[in-house]
Amino acid sequence: MTAISSQPAARPGTGGAVAMPRGRRRTELLMLIFAVGVVLFAYANVGFGLNGKLPSGLLEYGLAFAAIILVAHLFVRRFAPWADPLLLPLAALMNGLGIVMIYRLQQSGRNGNPGNQISTLSSSATAMQVLYSAAGVAAFIAVLVFIREVRVLQRYTYTLGAIGLILLAIPALLPASMSEVANTGAKIQIAVGGFSIQPEQFAELALAVFFAGYLVTKRDVLSLAGRRLAGIDLPRARDLGPVLIAWGVSLLLLVFESDIGTSALFFGLFVAMLYIATQRTSWLLIGVLLFVFGAYVASKLFSHVGARFTSWLHPWAGNNPTHLAYQTVQGLEGLGFGGLLGTGLGHGQPFWTPLVQSDFIMTAFGEELGLTGLMAMLLIFGLIVERGLRAAIAVRDPFAKLLAGGLSFAIALQVFIIVGGVTNLIPLTGITTPFLSQGGSSLIATWALIALLMRVSDTARRPAPQPIQDEGMTQVVRAG
Amino acid sequence: MNRALYRLSLGCLAMFVLLLINVNYVQAFEANSLANRPGNARTFSQQFQYQRGSIIATGVGGNKTIAESVPIKGTNMYQRFYPGGATYAPVTGFDSIYGATAIEKAYDKYLAGTAPSLTVHNLISLLTGKPKQGATVYLTISPKAQQAAYQALLADGGHQAAAVALDPSTGAILAMASYPSFNPNRLATLNGADLVKADNELLKDPNQPLLNRAINETYPPGSSFKVVTGSAAFSTGKVANPQTTVPAPQPLILPNGHALNNDGGETCGDGHPQIIEAFWLSCNTAFGQIGMNLGARTLQDYATRFGWNNPNLTIPMPVSPSITPLPPGEPPDKSLTAYMAIGQYSDGATPLQEAMDAAAIANHGTLMRPYLLDQVQAPDLSVISSTTPSVLSQAVSPQVAGDMTQMMIEVTQNPGGTAYQTAGPPTVGSLVIAGKTGTAENGVDNSGLDDAVFTCFAPASNPKIAVGVIVKGGGFGADAAAPIAVKIIEAYLGGHQ
Repeated sequence: MTAISSQPAARPGTGGAVAMPRGRRRTELLMLIFAVGVVLFAYANVGFGLNGKLPSGLLEYGLAFAAIILVAHLFVRRFAPWADPLLLPLAALMNGLGIVMIYRLQQSGRNGNPGNQISTLSSSATAMQVLYSAAGVAAFIAVLVFIREVRVLQRYTYTLGAIGLILLAIPALLPASMSEVANTGAKIQIAVGGFSIQPEQFAELALAVFFAGYLVTKRDVLSLAGRRLAGIDLPRARDLGPVLIAWGVSLLLLVFESDIGTSALFFGLFVAMLYIATQRTSWLLIGVLLFVFGAYVASKLFSHVGARFTSWLHPWAGNNPTHLAYQTVQGLEGLGFGGLLGTGLGHGQPFWTPLVQSDFIMTAFGEELGLTGLMAMLLIFGLIVERGLRAAIAVRDPFAKLLAGGLSFAIALQVFIIVGGVTNLIPLTGITTPFLSQGGSSLIATWALIALLMRVSDTARRPAPQPIQDEGMTQVVRAG
Repeated sequence: MNRALYRLSLGCLAMFVLLLINVNYVQAFEANSLANRPGNARTFSQQFQYQRGSIIATGVGGNKTIAESVPIKGTNMYQRFYPGGATYAPVTGFDSIYGATAIEKAYDKYLAGTAPSLTVHNLISLLTGKPKQGATVYLTISPKAQQAAYQALLADGGHQAAAVALDPSTGAILAMASYPSFNPNRLATLNGADLVKADNELLKDPNQPLLNRAINETYPPGSSFKVVTGSAAFSTGKVANPQTTVPAPQPLILPNGHALNNDGGETCGDGHPQIIEAFWLSCNTAFGQIGMNLGARTLQDYATRFGWNNPNLTIPMPVSPSITPLPPGEPPDKSLTAYMAIGQYSDGATPLQEAMDAAAIANHGTLMRPYLLDQVQAPDLSVISSTTPSVLSQAVSPQVAGDMTQMMIEVTQNPGGTAYQTAGPPTVGSLVIAGKTGTAENGVDNSGLDDAVFTCFAPASNPKIAVGVIVKGGGFGADAAAPIAVKIIEAYLGGHQ
């Protein structure tokens, strides 16, 4: 198979007789320079905020980050020239800001800087986060290089489904010492030695592919209406199987791994994709009802789930370090401390919030960048989702459409679950913030997800095969 | 499938809109109430991360810093230091990691730099890269008077006591001392365990060192209340002038059949003395009879004009109201009214009130509102707040104030006056102090030691300072309380010249 982009005639911006749509890689480069500039500025800002000096790692980390992003851009030019020009800059910006915040938190109380030391954050966290970013971009590149068309993934529907389930199940089967994230009770990782990965982050991608592949083939059946009740077409009882299985798996996750957030995310992803595939509101309704029912029963049966609801409804009842709501309270007080404009990077006190570098990292941004900064970051997430959905709508292939739509929705839902949780809009469930939270698994998986979206948008925006000669009725169509 | 995708996009939009609304609510609307929540670690630790403003006493005796924030070596934190220690503790209070008291609490917003009037200054410091700094609070306290007051209370020998000195013409508080006091430096520690230990010790101490007796404890005023009774008698015309004779039998048989005695059962002159003589001798029967003639309501009315019965007085610390409750009955019981007139019913006065009584007379009958704040200076030395003296009430007319001054001078200048020995020529020479002693019996059946009270101002011809002193269980007001007042006056006027 020859790479399309290796053909000169197909390079963006070069036209035949018909005006070609532009690939907009130059726009992407400009936006990337802007994004990297913002990140470097923020990084320098942390140093000035903490001790009035330029931070020591500015050159190393800055160059490393810029280089990583530049490499990603070059690969996009080569392997996905028609892809959406905004996705990569948006992802780079968020990834960079995440590194900046990890650095800021890691410096707290260390190297003579003000603040309390965050004991759960090692002194090499920033360097590690830069390494993870490199790994994330490597995953991004690998996806672009090896998956030239999203629809090839459809062949591995069931394989990936099985892999996804196995990845999910491993931590539940491992002893707690190997799978439990310290102090959280959540059994979601595989820890060997000092190294740990959270397989669920990758399971999300595998399962999204599985859902897309499965639903594309079954959508006609699932769209068949059964009885009609109160203006809504109910599906036939025998078609309820898949949704019940997905529901069951998500409940198992919840019970055996204490991972409420991921369970909600998976189930939400499945229901959303089911809805996209069938266009039946009834599925949405059934999904929401099942979830609400499951969550209610779980909150009554399992104390760790019930406690989440209690601390959501009465966060101030337990403003002490031993209480579950303590983290939420600290996060909220941090947000309040930041106010409209924030304290400025390095000037806040995010170290009061336990594990602020992971689930609660958005409250650290809210504290130091203020409401203004937090809203800007939420809008960037919103833009990523919007670009993904746009690609889904534009692409013709139903499998790609379903996959891109589902993945975009997954980002939106993930942001909603975690940001809503830390701002006490909804019960708090531990889940990573895309690109920002410390740790590699989520970062790598999110970069791979962005690559999939860019692949879909590349497919969608690629001009239809053009006639290379115009000789009467006979057309030689270049192989795509 | 695109229709579903469009709808799903709306769903995503809704989620983001919800998040945006919620963060707006938390960060814009709830920010203040979050900051003020008890136990907010950020607000709380923030105050130790920059230099809190100093508190400086500015009156006679030169500027003296009585509270300042000093950097702790090896950290970026500041700790409060009180160079004046226990002497100034009732004024400064303390600023601990668990909260603040007195001036530290009342002017916290200025000292911490969070007052709205400091916003612009803070912004400029932020932009110019200067560290944020609190404003400096200048108090009217005179280091000379304050030092003398605390030393005098300390020298008195272990009685619970307090003294307040005022500038009668403005109401500025020149001294406010209380004994026993405490060392605020012990409570300024940033070490929570040390703080709890020190705090527990102070709270358990039966002598209540944390209590500011000058404004937060009331004592029976005893005969010092005759200043109010006399003022009411002149103001109502029941007694025409200091030379008017008044009945002063020994004893005075009250309507309820009890006998009211003079101190020690002594006769009061010839039994029909001029009121001025009854005043310098402090005859209970004469003033008991005057009180019955005036009635309890009139007495209460005039006490209120002198600042009694005011639950809302702040300096800016809230002042416990000095009280003159009415005796029971309608009209109020006559016999008990006689006791009320000599400060022996259920009256209770703070040492500040004793100073205010004298200050009102000294200032031609006009009582000025007592205050501690001279001014607040932003770090750039601009004045962002200052006190303009204001009238609290017109206690009596200048005419009556003149009559009362005449009577109060005799207390110290007449060889028969109760304070002749301790505040008169034998002690202070040519300086004329106008005052009134009080020796309040208390305890069950008056078995307790008498409380000593002295209210006075000086110099009598041109009053610069009014002082109220109460020594619990001190005995005779003239013996225990007057010398303390004299020391404060001498220190203040001596520093003045």
